[in-house]
Amino acid sequence: MPKFSRREMLKTAGAAAPALLAARYASAAPAVFPAKNIQFVIPYAPGGGFDVYVRFITPVMEKYLPRKVSIVPINVASGAGSRGVAQLYRARPDGYTIGILNVPGMFILQEQQGTRAYDLNKFTWVGAMGEGERYLISVSSKSPIKNFADLKALSAQRPVKLSVTGPEGTAYVATMIGTQLLGIRKQLITGYKGSADYVVAAIRGDSDAVIAALPTTMRYVRGGSIRPIVSFETHSSIPGIPDATTLAQPELDRISVERLVAAPPGTPPDVQNILSAALAKALADPVVVKWSKDNDLIMLPKTPTQAVAILNEQRAFFEKWKTTLSAS
Amino acid sequence: MLDFWLSGFLSLFQPQALVFLLFGMAVGLFVGVLPGLGGTTALALLTPFTYGLEPVEALALAGGVMGGVPMGGAVTAILLNTPGQTANAVTCLDGYPLAQQGKAGLAIGAAASANAIGGIIGTISVLLVLPIATELVLAFGPPEFFLIAVLGLVLVATTSRGKTLRALVSGVAGLMIASIGYNDVTGGQRFTMGIEYLWDGVHLVPALVGLFAVAEMMHLSVKGGSIAKADGNVQITNIGAGLFETFRHWGTVLRGSLIGTFVGVVPGVGVTVASFLSYSLTVQASKDPESFGKGNIKGVIAPEAAINAKDCSALIPTLAFGLPGGAEMAVFMGILILHGMQPGPLMLQQNQLEIYSLIWALTASCILSSFVGLLFARPLARLTRVDTQLLAPVIIVLSLVGSYATDMVIENVVLSAVFGLIGYVMIKFDYPRITMVVALVLASLAERNYHQSMIMSDGGWSIYVSRIPSAIIVLCIVMSVASPFIRTFFSRRDLAATKTAGGS
Repeated sequence: MPKFSRREMLKTAGAAAPALLAARYASAAPAVFPAKNIQFVIPYAPGGGFDVYVRFITPVMEKYLPRKVSIVPINVASGAGSRGVAQLYRARPDGYTIGILNVPGMFILQEQQGTRAYDLNKFTWVGAMGEGERYLISVSSKSPIKNFADLKALSAQRPVKLSVTGPEGTAYVATMIGTQLLGIRKQLITGYKGSADYVVAAIRGDSDAVIAALPTTMRYVRGGSIRPIVSFETHSSIPGIPDATTLAQPELDRISVERLVAAPPGTPPDVQNILSAALAKALADPVVVKWSKDNDLIMLPKTPTQAVAILNEQRAFFEKWKTTLSAS
Repeated sequence: MLDFWLSGFLSLFQPQALVFLLFGMAVGLFVGVLPGLGGTTALALLTPFTYGLEPVEALALAGGVMGGVPMGGAVTAILLNTPGQTANAVTCLDGYPLAQQGKAGLAIGAAASANAIGGIIGTISVLLVLPIATELVLAFGPPEFFLIAVLGLVLVATTSRGKTLRALVSGVAGLMIASIGYNDVTGGQRFTMGIEYLWDGVHLVPALVGLFAVAEMMHLSVKGGSIAKADGNVQITNIGAGLFETFRHWGTVLRGSLIGTFVGVVPGVGVTVASFLSYSLTVQASKDPESFGKGNIKGVIAPEAAINAKDCSALIPTLAFGLPGGAEMAVFMGILILHGMQPGPLMLQQNQLEIYSLIWALTASCILSSFVGLLFARPLARLTRVDTQLLAPVIIVLSLVGSYATDMVIENVVLSAVFGLIGYVMIKFDYPRITMVVALVLASLAERNYHQSMIMSDGGWSIYVSRIPSAIIVLCIVMSVASPFIRTFFSRRDLAATKTAGGS
């Protein structure tokens, strides 16, 4: 066996080091993306809508990645979602950290907190989970309010009480803008913890009415505990109730919650494309299609360009209503 | 309904379901024993494994976990004064003094049987209540939630006889700490000192790990020796007697189970409140309240019975309205949705088979985990004889790892260390820590629901007495405040009459 002197050993090591580093670099290069597990940041608590979407779709998405790695969801639920988004914003832009964002809820937080923690304009967009969900005004099935006219009549007497989250959620945006457009005087009962919480609040009579997303509301409508009286859709999918067209308020249909998927700013385009393609294929997978149908969700794949378009549209809408939203 | 009830039971006897139930229970017990880690973590860890399972199997797994965790948590609380999960903090109050007296086996035995019986009573109550579940859940709104929080805070005084002022100081400090973070009602941050981590407030689990596990181990290390006083005469593994204790205190078990069931039905109040209410009311009802906190076995039975009963009944708001009562139920709800079951009013009608098999799985796991807990009680109880110099480093490391694992952020560990110091100072100066925990748990509940109630009533106070459930809770509060005075009055009179000193 040949003997190595210490000097030779060092020389060899010195020569090998760059090679090793190069190999390491190569493994991170997009040619073989993904080479390790991908973190999926959910800025909300386990069990909520965003959490469930991600946890259901990511295992399917794994199948469509060019290499077999896991997508690991992590919940960073702090500060109404802003901490998770800030964490995603600061993550290394290599595609190994992606996350889901609540739009336009995040615009409100950015408005409150400035762009120090994150800037929504700078993210690399991967796509979206779910087609924007529209909103409904509903009342408890035991409520004396039977239709929109009754609600208007109540509003003429006293402000209508509406249950909602704190001023950071998209439901808050929908409630503020919706009542403004329809000319309903309002008194908000804030602080409910999530969509199920504020809908049940209306069912048990904490509030007179609630403005909540369609899939959430439909769950309770089918159980017979709540009655929808106004739809914010252009053409109501529930027969017999007024919608944006009949109320002559087309703006109502622009109020929606979007679940956009993003990577940190500066993620290389080829990585972005791989992720985006995998997400789009996952949304078209029969397993996801059936699941979304069972839950009243529409899952249409979105390209990064479409995601940016959605974001821009939401931004324009938010900018227009900013003063209304910061009024209270 | 009886049909589903039976077929739900039978569905558990399919070999796969049984295997998943046992696996879930084992994971639950193990995770429960680790300080800080509870059902939330265990369920979150197992969620990915349920993708490929049939709904009944997934529910057997989840039920197994949820049934197993409380027993594991009780063991750590008794042996190490370190609650395995938040609710077990109350079990420490009397469980740990028992361990110190060398009666760890007795306490674990009692906890195990209280767990099993609490679970069974919880199940029976749930089966009875399920037909009227929706009405029951809807009877409780913000005014009631606020008043329950007030009741909990009022009862703080009961748990700390002779140290009321100290308990109040500790409680108020807890309330102040709880005001840190994002304000749910009006939005915006409070007292976060520019630290991003504090946006979500002081995280409860790491704070608890610090307050109990870290502080206790610091205290023990300074003191030296072992947890149980070296008294060779006491049999530390007197498990049989412990088992029997629960049957001797039927009233306590029943009260605990019913309180647990009640609190479970009220969404968002949380299991810690259940165990704390059960404990406090047991102290109030006792003829010998002075003996609590010094190793009264009823102080172990009461919270443990409540915790398991609550685990069953907490399913009601979760299933009937999709309102998870706590973080654990929220994760569990995620599992339901993944398996195509949408919690909500329809679920009670459409998924009866799954619901009953879940309830059976939960009950079976409660009972089985109690047996398994007993099997390990003997070797575990010997931990109280181990020299602190060996025990403390291991427990501190385990606790801090648990604290980290809860949210996977290093700030949790720092928080645990800070609360470890706070806890140590509190032990040194004899301030009760449980009151701080109760305040931390109840503060945001009280604040949020107070605001909501006041908006509901347009600023009128009558909302707290004009609703029947509210009025009943107000009555409970008045009685809780008044009872120590009445008791003191009578005991003074007795003392004067008999002119004897000492306990009753």
